[in-house]
Amino acid sequence: LPICPNGSVNCQISTGDLFDRAVKLSHYIHSLSSEIFNEFDERYAQDRGFITKSINACHTSSLNTPEDKAQAQQIQHEELLNLVLRVLRSWNDPLVHLVSEVQGIKEAPDTILWKAVEIEEQTKRLLEGMEKIVKRVQPGDLGNEVYSLWPGPQDVQVADEDSRLFAFYNLLHCLRRDSHKIDNYLKLLKCRLIHDSSC
Amino acid sequence: KFLDGQTAPDKPEIIKCRSPEKETFSCWWKPGSDGGLPTNYTLLYSTEKHPEIMECPDYKTSGPNSCYFDKKHTSLWTIYTIVVNATNEKGSNASNPKFVDVTYIIEPYPPTNVSLTVEKTHLLVKWLPPSMADIKYGWLTLVYELRLKAEKAQEWVTHSAGQQTQFNVLSLHPGETYVVQVRCKPDHGFWSQWSPETYIQIPNTFQERD
Repeated sequence: LPICPNGSVNCQISTGDLFDRAVKLSHYIHSLSSEIFNEFDERYAQDRGFITKSINACHTSSLNTPEDKAQAQQIQHEELLNLVLRVLRSWNDPLVHLVSEVQGIKEAPDTILWKAVEIEEQTKRLLEGMEKIVKRVQPGDLGNEVYSLWPGPQDVQVADEDSRLFAFYNLLHCLRRDSHKIDNYLKLLKCRLIHDSSC
Repeated sequence: KFLDGQTAPDKPEIIKCRSPEKETFSCWWKPGSDGGLPTNYTLLYSTEKHPEIMECPDYKTSGPNSCYFDKKHTSLWTIYTIVVNATNEKGSNASNPKFVDVTYIIEPYPPTNVSLTVEKTHLLVKWLPPSMADIKYGWLTLVYELRLKAEKAQEWVTHSAGQQTQFNVLSLHPGETYVVQVRCKPDHGFWSQWSPETYIQIPNTFQERD
């Protein structure tokens, strides 16, 4: 994520700059996630009642993330940073499968494919950046445990059309939700750590 | 239809849900016909984490035919399943369910305290975030847009101010009266209404600059 100017050797990006770049990226990833969800919803999910089936169906639902401002205020920033890392890591596998599977959707517009690829790439960059930030903010162990809460691709490769479309819908619904969480938490952390909660 | 012309009420319709600051939210419904009888409305809801049916905590704060969910009853990143029931002597009728995630219904109030100051070569526009929005803590991020036009003109000129709460406007004409409005939007959500119109006359001594 942080690119040092040419030729510089010991280029030390400030933690504030790292956060600025991470927030720009998380904002961009969520905007793309919203667009790809809305596009898929309009084209493939109208009147199928998918939303009722997507209740409590995100693979990251078990992660105990703050759901309102009071909860967010009570959580330590180390814990919140680690939560962001865990959510990001839990999307590695699903995004790989999303990109490979999207090409199989009937008459999928190029924009859906392009956005899936872009989201996967930018999420990888964000994860790299977040690992740098966490190393800065809490030099201890990054807690690099291999992470996939995702049940795996079989949900996406099912036979009948409706189930297959629902598997996509649910993945995109959860991606929109989790990318918003990450964006929200990073903006909050930036205000707390860089601007002393006075943005 | 009963002989006395009185019937069960028609199905109400949930028309809108909005959160002004990502901490509380309200929903409004439109009653159908009341079947000629006194009709009572109850809003029932459940959430992903609390699937049990609960009733609206506050029917008053957001006005008639509304339900207000305070901070204690508002969570983000979770789907609320909401239904409104209309009931009278002859029976009852339920609205279609509305599925709401507060994350995606944020529409702030307009910015406040818009002030205009004529500097030597530009007009300084300043404002404050909507009163209830907690920007400092970073839970809510707002971006702003302002528009201005000469009082008698038709076309507005719009400027994006990003997250700033002030903006310098150049290329104004001495002697002209201008009207200015500001609005805001969360990083991901709906634009607010425009703030009330604020007027300023540019003095003749103003140094025009393009």
